[in-house]
Amino acid sequence: MSASVLTAGSRRRRAQPIAGRLFSKFWVYAVCAVFGGITIVPLAYVVLGGFRTTGQIAAHPVGWPHPWITSNYTSVITSSSFWRQVANSLLIAAIAASLIVTLGSSVAYALSRYEFRGREVLYTVFTLGLLLPLTVAVLPLYIELRHVGILDNPLGVALPEAAFGLPVTVIILRPFMRAVPSDVEDAAAMDGCSKFGFFWRVLLPLSRPALMTVAILAVVQSWNAFLLPLIALNSPSEATIPLGVANYQTEYSQDTAAILAYTALSMIPALVFFLAAERRIVGGLSGAVKG
Amino acid sequence: MSSPSTSLRTAGRRSLRPADSARRRRRLELAFFIVPALVFYLALVLYPILQAVHYSLFNWSGLGTLSDFVGIGNYRDAFNDPEFTGAIKHNFILVGLSLVVQFPIALGVALLLNRPFRGRRAARIVFFAPYVLSEAITAVIWLLILQPDGLVDRGFQSVGLGGAVQLWLADLNLVLFTMFVVITWKYVGFGIILLLAGLQGIPQELHEAAAIDGAKSWTMVRYITLPLLGPTIRIWGFLSIIGSLQLFDLVWIMTQGGPAEASNTMATYMFNNGFVRYEFGYGSAVAVILFIISFALALIYQRFVLRRDTRGALTRMAG
Amino acid sequence: MFRRWKTWALLLGTVAVLASLGGLTTAAQGKTAGPKAVTLTWWHNATADPGKSYWAKVASDYHKLHPDVTVNSVPIQNETLQNTKIPLALQSNDPPDVFQQWGGGVLGTQVRAGKVADITKYVKPWIKLLGGAVAGWQYQGKQYGIPYNLGVVGFWYNKALFKQAGIAAPPKTWNDLFTDIAKLKTAGVTPIAIGSKDRWPDAFYWDYLAVRVCSKTTLQQSAITYNFSDPCWTKAGTLTQQLLNDKPFQNGFLATPAQQGAGSSAGLIGNGKAAMELQGHWDEGVMNGLTPNQKGLGSNLGWFPFPSIPGGKGVPGAALGGGDGYSCSWKAPEPQCADFLKYLVSVPVQKGWAKLNIGLPTAKGSESALGDPILRAVAKARSASPFVQTYLDIAYSSTVGQALDSAIADMFAGQKNPQQVVQAIAKSAKSSH
Repeated sequence: MSASVLTAGSRRRRAQPIAGRLFSKFWVYAVCAVFGGITIVPLAYVVLGGFRTTGQIAAHPVGWPHPWITSNYTSVITSSSFWRQVANSLLIAAIAASLIVTLGSSVAYALSRYEFRGREVLYTVFTLGLLLPLTVAVLPLYIELRHVGILDNPLGVALPEAAFGLPVTVIILRPFMRAVPSDVEDAAAMDGCSKFGFFWRVLLPLSRPALMTVAILAVVQSWNAFLLPLIALNSPSEATIPLGVANYQTEYSQDTAAILAYTALSMIPALVFFLAAERRIVGGLSGAVKG
Repeated sequence: MSSPSTSLRTAGRRSLRPADSARRRRRLELAFFIVPALVFYLALVLYPILQAVHYSLFNWSGLGTLSDFVGIGNYRDAFNDPEFTGAIKHNFILVGLSLVVQFPIALGVALLLNRPFRGRRAARIVFFAPYVLSEAITAVIWLLILQPDGLVDRGFQSVGLGGAVQLWLADLNLVLFTMFVVITWKYVGFGIILLLAGLQGIPQELHEAAAIDGAKSWTMVRYITLPLLGPTIRIWGFLSIIGSLQLFDLVWIMTQGGPAEASNTMATYMFNNGFVRYEFGYGSAVAVILFIISFALALIYQRFVLRRDTRGALTRMAG
Repeated sequence: MFRRWKTWALLLGTVAVLASLGGLTTAAQGKTAGPKAVTLTWWHNATADPGKSYWAKVASDYHKLHPDVTVNSVPIQNETLQNTKIPLALQSNDPPDVFQQWGGGVLGTQVRAGKVADITKYVKPWIKLLGGAVAGWQYQGKQYGIPYNLGVVGFWYNKALFKQAGIAAPPKTWNDLFTDIAKLKTAGVTPIAIGSKDRWPDAFYWDYLAVRVCSKTTLQQSAITYNFSDPCWTKAGTLTQQLLNDKPFQNGFLATPAQQGAGSSAGLIGNGKAAMELQGHWDEGVMNGLTPNQKGLGSNLGWFPFPSIPGGKGVPGAALGGGDGYSCSWKAPEPQCADFLKYLVSVPVQKGWAKLNIGLPTAKGSESALGDPILRAVAKARSASPFVQTYLDIAYSSTVGQALDSAIADMFAGQKNPQQVVQAIAKSAKSSH
């Protein structure tokens, strides 16, 4: 196809009119504005609403803060339960992400650079997990966690999260690890490097982009999890942020302004993390997509 | 992927005794890399699903002992329950809508944004932001702004569309579609970014060559962009389908499947009947059905849609 | 640097795991530290003031009286508590010691699974203080909980709005109610607010109509035999449908919650946006919390009992009601838990609680502390009722109760007719018994 395109087309050359270029630029900015608006307006509403009082919101649901009340935000920032939830969420996300990266990369390594009978079967077994929504497993998982005794414990949330995060991890990591040329591996072997040494010193550093993507996805998934913490965590002292937001909404339902402030503050960790990691996420995704 | 194996195999063929110990060491290495993760995965993912199948055969409240065996009775009851079949229908409606509505939007925006312009990075960040928020937060926000006379209603009124205002969450015929709008708000950004990533993998030269050849934009999209974007689209389709089938958090917090089960999904139905009504056995049966449906759809998708990608990959490797 | 990063991640993970394991052991130790020190975890639904602060005070007062017992007051939103938290907690190995208990069939389910402590022997000396209400917290003659709040359901109404619509006195009969609804509509006032999203407010109408048209025997037997063949059950649905057809509720009522936020049905009444609501005795407290100055309707608030149905087989003046109580879980230290319950329903504590005007105390002699004239009227109605039927979704087992609420909610949404409602309830009763 390319040959015919080159020969046939070299005769004709079309200069793009300037008006056309401007026109299409307009559409680009218009679409961005519309979509950006639809995305941001609800979030802005929440943030701004936190600066008003519930009475004002009840009387005029839509309006600019006037005057700017900071008591809602300060009361959440100074409440110990909010910070405890942040700490709980952080702890659980850290455990889950470390486990996912370690276990996921080992399995992906075996599945990508070894040949053995049943390898594809094993790969399919892991990808099966993608189809298993946590909701399917949640009832028996609850009883299993109860038997082991890790209900109301960060482990009771982190361990299942890690296990359920393995499928996506393996799917993303395997093509990355496969793409490392075998010459590198042969060279390492000739230098006297063991398989594990190759894994630890060569492959993992080379797979760093994918590992970061996987870790970030794991953190985001864990941070936002709702159902698993809902059933595994009982006492308010163990709650995570999504639980806190849902509970706050029902507990302080008469105080709309406080709920908005609480929700706005809960968004911040996720958004900050996202801003820091944004390049990695897209980079990792494009890599996975190519593989 | 032939090189590593050939090197291993030639290494093994050189002499018998080193081959045996090499094989054993290889097995140990494999075990080292696979077993921990596998055990972990089996214990926390596969074992519960097997247990779910086990519980589903009993009439059990979740408290006390498993004593009332009913075989497939729970499954029969589930399919006889119009609430459950309604929930299945809702899930499939959401699957269909996400493919038919979210995809064109995501593709259109991605195509439009696939060129350098000032503020592109900011746009990417803004579109992707809702994906990063938890569904709980999304639900709380939309619950507030969808109130009668809330932000959404006022927004409509301010642009003169006051007559279009509906009871977004109270109207039985609308509530599922309202939920779809919220889902789209949260996830379309992810689709845009994914497609953008795929678009960036398409070499510019192809577009330029086609433009020189006189190809119009639509032809370019149809014959160059879309086919090359194929793998990305298919991955997004897969994630979208699975996500639509498993929907729980958003619906539970916003409507709990109501009013009158009009926004029920299989997952909210399962939670309602399993936990809230003290019917673990029945809830487990519903969970197993949900798994089977996901599994069947995934198999079909894999066979008819994704197979093209792996076949293409295979021919590329051989060639 | 990268290698170190990975090591850090592993270290972090290991430390985290160890830390949480450590946390496990200290938590376990904390519960049994010392021969006498006991901590009681107390789950209740008072998430807003004044109830929330009062229970916190009760917990600390009890600790002052019994230094070796610490009571942890944990407020949890009502629906979450009833539908999710308690069922889940009772299935875990770490349930709360004291938890909110509504009695009836749900209590039966919990008792049969061995999840509730039998406190009969501890309460024997003082149970008479609470009167006949305690029957609702018994199972097969044994006591598994005690009620602290007991009331009857009735219509809360805005006197000013009634006057504005030209209604001289609250309706006495079912037909009077329709007349008044018409008058309110003419005056541009939303006649009735309802929190249909939560489903149980819908059931109040159906339940009450059943109380009016079904004989006492039919009602009481239904909780034992789960027999719904009597035509009075369908009649209750038909009368409910008659009300629904009149469209007396607020716009979008299917998505309105009962108690959460100013947009809830209680909030609507409290802020003067609807004329009346059929609700339990707690409604005034809820309403006030949802108004800007916590004041509610003040003297404009009135209460009238559910209208009568001439010709109905129900006991005249019978009421639908129920209450809140507390139970001890099977893992609670029984003597301390029972003693705390005794303190909760003691006359001084109940008098203090009555002063808050958020409910009706059960301890004899404490009603005098009710400052609010309306609550005193409701208390009087409660004692004057010859027969109080517990809300049906509590009286029946949890499966049938939930099915009942669902079926009625479906009817309110126009998805079921009266016969189908009865069929759905009967079907769920058959399949679970």
